[in-house]
Amino acid sequence: MFVLIAVLGASAAAWAGAQYASRALTDSSQQQHADALVAQVTAAAPTVEYPPSRDALDQLRAAVGPHALAVYQDAQSASGIFIAQDGLITSDLRDAVANATAPGGTFTQRVMVEDTPWVVIGAPVMLTAPDGTRSPSGVEVYRAQDLSPVDADIDALTRAAIGTSALVLPVAVLLALLASRTVLAPVRRLRTTARRLADGDLNARTHPRGVDELAQLTSTVNEMAESLQQSMVSMARIQDDARRFAADVSHELRTPLSTLTAAVEVLDDAFQHRSAPHPGTDASTSTDTDAAQESARMALVETRRLVRLVEDIMEIARFDAGTAAMRLEPTDLLALARDCVRSRGWTQDVTLTSPEGADLVVQADRRRLDVVLANLVGNARRHGAPPVRIAFSAAPDAVEVTVADSGPGIGEDVLPRIFTRFYKADAARTRSHGSGLGLAIAWENTALHGGSLTAANTPDGGAQFTMWLPRAGSTPEGEER
Amino acid sequence: MTRWLRHVALLVALAGVGSCAVQPSPVEQGPQAPTGLAPGVTLYFLDDGDLVPQERQTRRLGSMQEAVSLLLTGPGGSGLATGIAEVAVHTTHVTVGEDVIDVRLPLPTGDVTSDGVDQIVCTVLATHVQAGGSPEMQVRLTFTDVPATNSNPLTEPRTCPLL
Repeated sequence: MFVLIAVLGASAAAWAGAQYASRALTDSSQQQHADALVAQVTAAAPTVEYPPSRDALDQLRAAVGPHALAVYQDAQSASGIFIAQDGLITSDLRDAVANATAPGGTFTQRVMVEDTPWVVIGAPVMLTAPDGTRSPSGVEVYRAQDLSPVDADIDALTRAAIGTSALVLPVAVLLALLASRTVLAPVRRLRTTARRLADGDLNARTHPRGVDELAQLTSTVNEMAESLQQSMVSMARIQDDARRFAADVSHELRTPLSTLTAAVEVLDDAFQHRSAPHPGTDASTSTDTDAAQESARMALVETRRLVRLVEDIMEIARFDAGTAAMRLEPTDLLALARDCVRSRGWTQDVTLTSPEGADLVVQADRRRLDVVLANLVGNARRHGAPPVRIAFSAAPDAVEVTVADSGPGIGEDVLPRIFTRFYKADAARTRSHGSGLGLAIAWENTALHGGSLTAANTPDGGAQFTMWLPRAGSTPEGEER
Repeated sequence: MTRWLRHVALLVALAGVGSCAVQPSPVEQGPQAPTGLAPGVTLYFLDDGDLVPQERQTRRLGSMQEAVSLLLTGPGGSGLATGIAEVAVHTTHVTVGEDVIDVRLPLPTGDVTSDGVDQIVCTVLATHVQAGGSPEMQVRLTFTDVPATNSNPLTEPRTCPLL
């Protein structure tokens, strides 16, 4: 692009120069001939009779040059090309000369005669009174001049211009290339830096050179990267702090909660035993005891829930910290699912379907997949409706497990956020059995296996979760929710 | 890119060759028209002491020398007077300088009255202007008895009181 512009610029300059020079050459030549005509006529006129006789016209014409014409009324005296070419004087020129008024002027016109340029100069000869006032005399003189020498000069000039351009152009192109390199190289460096920044390398910087706008832009980009980096760092620290805080809190809560659980269990046990051997005590005492017993039971349930919540939070914290340990072993998903359902006593509500003879063995952490399946099936039973169908499909490098229920499905507004921590679909049902972390933990567990967990609605209305697991059980880095 | 360049270069070269040559033009204005034709020469004589022009039908303007020579021959039978004494020799020399026309007269100062000086100066200037000369010119007279370098008021450059 730079080169093209340079070439165009140089050519345009050469062209304009040649044009200007040729016009100047033509104009000056024309002016010279016109001046000569005026000088010749003025020099000759005082010796010429007026009103002019035929001889006087001849005399005047002869004084003007080889190609000349002198006219007075109907008489005229011509020589050279004015005899050969009748139409040399255009009507425009004739009118201009004939209609000249004081003080009078000469007129010039370039014409082509058989491909040769000529200039025709026409002038009225004026009469001047002793006080300097002028009036037309009726005598007109014309002079023609061949402009071929000027044309030849112009040709030579043009050739010289083209020749010079041809010589200079390669140099100009070279210079343009060099210039473009000096301009474009910093732009290229800046682009590389911007690309690195976009790719996440926040340490990328460009050293600004010089003091031009490009250097300012470079400095600005550097400042932008700097502030971006700082905010990223502080954001990461805040996030880190928040996670560590959650982990610390749950860890600190666990010990007292264990103690509390034990105490509440003992209390609950005591009430159970106390109410059994004394069936016939008085009504008021019995009512008090019942209330107390109910309270103890509630305390036990809530405490257990609290313990589960704390354990879930600790699990999530381990995921966030990247310290979740994986124990991979060959796992048959069908057997795992069957054990999971049976051990929790859900056999009646759940149907398992798998393709005949399919290989459903993956490298997986058995405990984590059990947690995932239990969560999905538990959710399906609790929020959806039985029967819950677990289906398997095998591919050469992955296995897919779908858990579908027969309930009303998941709301469209809920679907995108269903794996969000503590997100509960039903705002009114805040005190559910779950911690609100179940699906989040399931998602994290699947991700740990290098797989994915997605939620959708089946065409006939039920909710359907699909867990996709690669057979290798790899743990890809940088999984993001 | 190179093909592009070649096209551009060709175009430029063509444009340059094509339009740099002398082209026909419309009528253009040139310098001021020539002059110098006249049916006769204007001489200045005296009418009751006043300077008056008299046109002599010489059929052409002629030179300044001729004008002065004609002036020296006198008014003839026109009834006008002259401030210049009659002389046998009418040959004068006229040199046109940058701002001053030098006229060498075949007369001594005593043969020319101050009106006669004006006659000569006006005649010379009128012819000069009619021949296309500048009206700003001045005329310096030289007499046979006074060298030009002398500071005689008669030999100072002067202009015509009528023009």
